[in-house]
Amino acid sequence: MAPPAQSQRSPSPSQPSGKSEVSDLKLQLRQLAGSRAPGVDDSKRELFKKVISYMTIGIDVSSLFGEMVMCSATSDIVLKKMCYLYVGNYAKVNPDLALLTINFLQRDCRDEDPMIRGLALRSLCSLRVANLVEYLVGPLGSGLKDSNSYVRMVAVMGVLKLYHISASTCIDADFPSILKHLMLHDSDTQVVANCLSALQEIWSAEASTSEEASREREALISKPFIYYLLNRIKEFCEWAQCLVLELVTKYVPSDSSEIFDIMNLLEDRLQHANGAVVLATIRVFLQLTLSMTDVHQQVYERIKAPLLTLVSSGSPEQSYAVLSHLHLLVMRAPYVFSSDYKHFYCQYNEPSYVKRLKLEMLTAVANESNTYEIVTELCEYAANVDIPIARESIRAVGKIALQQYDVNAIVDRLLQFLEMEKDYVTAEALVLVKDLLRKYPQWSHDCIAVVGNISSKNVQEPKAKAALIWMLGEYSQDMQDAPYVLGSLVENWDEEHSAEVRLHLLTAMMKCFFNRPPETQSALGAALAAGIADFHQDVHDRALFYYRILRYNVSVAERVVNPPKQAVSVFADTQSSEIKDRIFDEFNSLSVLYQKPSYMFTDKEHRGPLEFADELGNLSIGEAANNVVPTQMVEENDKDLLLTTSEKEETKGSRNNGSAYSVPYDGSSTSVFASQTQIESAVSNPTLAGHSPQASFAIDDLLGLGIPAAPAVLSPPQLKLNTKAALDPSTFQQKWRQLPVALSQEISVSPQGAAALTAPQALLRHMQSHSIHCIASGGQSPNFKFFFFAQKFEESSNYLVECVINTSSAKAQVKIKADDQNTSQDFSTLFESALSKFGTS
Amino acid sequence: MPVAASAIYFLNLRGDVLINRLYRDDVGGNMVDAFRMHIMQTKELGTCPVRQIGGCSFFYMRISNVYVVIVVSSNANVACAFKFVVEAVSMFKSYFGGAFDEDAIRNNFVLIYELLDEIMDFGYPQNLSPEILKLYITQEGVRSPFSSKASDKPIPNATLQVTGAVGWRREGLVYKKNEVFLDIVESVNLLMSSKGSVLRCDVTGKILMKCFLSGMPDLKLGLNDKIGLEKESQMKSRPAKSGKTIELDDVTFHQCVNLTRFNSEKTVSFVPPDGEFELMKYRITEGVNLPFRVLPTIKELGRTRMEVNVKVKSVFGAKMFALGVVVKIPVPKQTAKTSFQVTSGRAKYNAAIDCLVWKIRKFPGQTEPTLSAEVELISTMAEKKSWTKPPIQMEFQVPMFTASGLRVRFLKVWEKSGYNTVEWVRYITKAGSYEIRS
Repeated sequence: MAPPAQSQRSPSPSQPSGKSEVSDLKLQLRQLAGSRAPGVDDSKRELFKKVISYMTIGIDVSSLFGEMVMCSATSDIVLKKMCYLYVGNYAKVNPDLALLTINFLQRDCRDEDPMIRGLALRSLCSLRVANLVEYLVGPLGSGLKDSNSYVRMVAVMGVLKLYHISASTCIDADFPSILKHLMLHDSDTQVVANCLSALQEIWSAEASTSEEASREREALISKPFIYYLLNRIKEFCEWAQCLVLELVTKYVPSDSSEIFDIMNLLEDRLQHANGAVVLATIRVFLQLTLSMTDVHQQVYERIKAPLLTLVSSGSPEQSYAVLSHLHLLVMRAPYVFSSDYKHFYCQYNEPSYVKRLKLEMLTAVANESNTYEIVTELCEYAANVDIPIARESIRAVGKIALQQYDVNAIVDRLLQFLEMEKDYVTAEALVLVKDLLRKYPQWSHDCIAVVGNISSKNVQEPKAKAALIWMLGEYSQDMQDAPYVLGSLVENWDEEHSAEVRLHLLTAMMKCFFNRPPETQSALGAALAAGIADFHQDVHDRALFYYRILRYNVSVAERVVNPPKQAVSVFADTQSSEIKDRIFDEFNSLSVLYQKPSYMFTDKEHRGPLEFADELGNLSIGEAANNVVPTQMVEENDKDLLLTTSEKEETKGSRNNGSAYSVPYDGSSTSVFASQTQIESAVSNPTLAGHSPQASFAIDDLLGLGIPAAPAVLSPPQLKLNTKAALDPSTFQQKWRQLPVALSQEISVSPQGAAALTAPQALLRHMQSHSIHCIASGGQSPNFKFFFFAQKFEESSNYLVECVINTSSAKAQVKIKADDQNTSQDFSTLFESALSKFGTS
Repeated sequence: MPVAASAIYFLNLRGDVLINRLYRDDVGGNMVDAFRMHIMQTKELGTCPVRQIGGCSFFYMRISNVYVVIVVSSNANVACAFKFVVEAVSMFKSYFGGAFDEDAIRNNFVLIYELLDEIMDFGYPQNLSPEILKLYITQEGVRSPFSSKASDKPIPNATLQVTGAVGWRREGLVYKKNEVFLDIVESVNLLMSSKGSVLRCDVTGKILMKCFLSGMPDLKLGLNDKIGLEKESQMKSRPAKSGKTIELDDVTFHQCVNLTRFNSEKTVSFVPPDGEFELMKYRITEGVNLPFRVLPTIKELGRTRMEVNVKVKSVFGAKMFALGVVVKIPVPKQTAKTSFQVTSGRAKYNAAIDCLVWKIRKFPGQTEPTLSAEVELISTMAEKKSWTKPPIQMEFQVPMFTASGLRVRFLKVWEKSGYNTVEWVRYITKAGSYEIRS
């Protein structure tokens, strides 16, 4: 047996690595097993400790199972516990040996010490071996009736464990109704609490199939039961109180007096030392008063103080969890917190995840009376050592400016940022000045004066560069050297890596051309030529569009590209109010921290890039570090700025569903092809527009190179696939593990295909039309990963495919596994031909 | 469901597993690897304590040189999970007697497994109170040699006591000498602008108790807080005594405090747990007495020289003194040479944190020592503009002083046997985050 990787990686003296130690232990355990000598328990303890420590660091000690069981006949409780722990860990992989333990565990379940009864019962239920469940029912039944509350407490959880191993056994033994009885009548609150947890889980799971269960689940939030719990709430331990409060949020009181009764009863919970109880109480208050606007308002006032206390006490992690909730409330009702802004000032040593939330809250609570202080504070952070936070705070200043308070002073501040001569400060400030100008064109004069002094060489970040270029184009009339700055940028077209910047450059050149034609004409020609030759689809399209509209009519072009603009009054919100409400409904859970509703991260189809736990390690972390800005992002940026709220929500919505996305891409790829053929005919037409001869010459020259021919389409072989194949993910996973790789090869993807693959969904549709179905997909441009499957027509023979596509190199790594190895070559050809058609059909 | 944790791991800083306890089957066995690969070995570490990998969410906390990681697969209650970890760690500490670190875990791993079994069942938190747990998990932790040896007397029939009406105290305790120790510990947080105006200032305080009392005593604590005093004068229908009253912004109490009585009568009454516990926590933002004022002047003389003058004024009573005062004055990275003159204490340059560190062991009230330093810098080409100054930070402890002005007015102990008790009250104010921008 090879030593496990873990111990190799960490060769410390306490971590032995090999088989010899294990077999040594085995021998020693054997010697001790039968011994009755005094002091034998102590030496057993030492040995057991060793076994457990090996187990912890990941060494497989399952081979000692028999010996461990033999040694377990002891009255020493610590020894017993260690043995139980060991058995619980390895029973699952040794179901046959686990049978050996049943005997002594059952005997211990009848011990006279309640401690041992409880422990044995807990271990018995933790074996997790499906064919041993018959041995569980008896001990569990008597455990639930035990006179000692500790045993009952353990037995209740045991029922839940049994349910997860074998739901039918649990239901058949009628355990749920026994639990229900206990829940209503047991004197011990921990037993009641455990019953509540167990029944909630069991009935929720059963509700979909059994009407009775769903009725029972409803009964949990009925008035008598809720009142029964609320009246005893102080007797519960702090964790059980959280559980009860959680349940109360689901209860719908019949009238407002009931609501007040509950709130009065629970008000002192806001003073509980356990923050979790306080948060749970806050949730109850918020939920109960949702429909009563003024009371809801008062609730905000009431919970403010406890929340602020929770934030300022405890570890940074705890305060982060609370702060996220405060953040949610601040975003919902900023005016309530506007006088508390000083609580959101950042401390120097706070972790950045805390600072980031605080910055957002400072932005939200800014109003007429506190803007000056808040902006002054934010400007302090702009000089912060922590660069991401410095950036955020500059953005925050800009957002406040866009909220229209006291813009005068803020514009001055922003312009000061531009003069600070720190790359990142300049970059952020440029983006903000651009947005400000779009909202308050009246400031153009002051801003232009400062922006004009910034050398484009000092600006490297795409967003900032794009902002600068936008301003150069928009205000080319007022900026003396705009055409020349833009011109020099066009000369360095090839060194510009960001498509976003190139897009902006094209538009800015056009605007500049309309304002100052003689100075710009030659540079515009060069820009259009470079744009048409650009490998990026959007840049290419835009350049072509400009070129053709110019040729058609220059004044029409001006009306299209550079019409008089109206100031933007409202910038689109990034998150729809519907989503925000859903997050609010899930107060006091992960949703609030992730800032998305739970279905987005718990449902399988929303989970995104990583679906199989096994694959966790395989997708490399470097993925995110791609320099190429995917088209989708550029588009989104544009939309961010221009779309109205409702449109924005639509795009959000469709992305969340992840389904509608492939449609526009399929469409765009066809239209590209159509337009390219048209160019060829257009170019052969000798009547070219007069005003940009160089440009058209350049285009002529360029198009001479021709468009890369589409890869030859392979004729599909004689393998027929089932169009309606079905396979569930677990079977897929199982098969993927079992089958050997039949074929592994590299296929090239057509450039059109690579360009159209901006989101995994685009390819899924395409492959589905070829009867190849996707079971999991993920990744981000340029790396995508897919798992496909297909079934042979009228046979249940499966093909499984792992396909990793890199769109920047237009290559796909394909691994094929098949039930029927003989036809895998045929399938591979079929797959290859289907993939090669992607983006071309 | 509040937590339903699927697994708990303790890892050391290298990522070796120290403890690994799987509660539910809904997560894979390779969760530790996922945590190591996607959090520990990336820059993500420390950027956010809650992360989602695959279908699982990881909550992690670093406590001394150990990471405690909770894995869940559902939409769990994060605040509850973190609180659970904190409580569990303090419970472990009470078993090991002091530190919770890698060595303590390695030495006590069997005990930890035993405790993990009791405090959480199938992912649901169970009883976590150390007082109760110690009744039936009597195995003693391997204590560090510095801590005192605890008495080791297993109590028979422990489980019967677990679930009394007073879950935090067992019956039949007997002490020869009945004593109560009350510590009021406050930490002052300050953020002062370079112009000397207070941007933000608050005090978070806690009252810690150590009780060695026999039987089932009933305690009543009176403070000079505004609401409590007003209520009292109302009840006795005579005007409140003039004198300083404190307005508490928010108070939270240990579960032993009768909250209904607090809300109606505004008195803190309780049956205390045995031994040490935190009775209450409070927060104050109005009327804070700052113990120290810091007046810095930092001048940059050309590109290579700086002059630093810092005056620290103690504004508490002349008879009191502060202990362990440390003033950290940040200087640029390229500091080459420093020279100091101080009227009190000692100063030196610490290159590891880029600070001038000025320490004064004993700092009497109503004094104002100064530090003047000259700092020489290496001239560099890279540094274009003036360096961004982090704030000056201060550490201190002032015994017998409360920044909030809170005082204990009385502490009454009532027990049916009517024994006499000795009460000890101490006050101390510490620096929380005490920052002065320069």
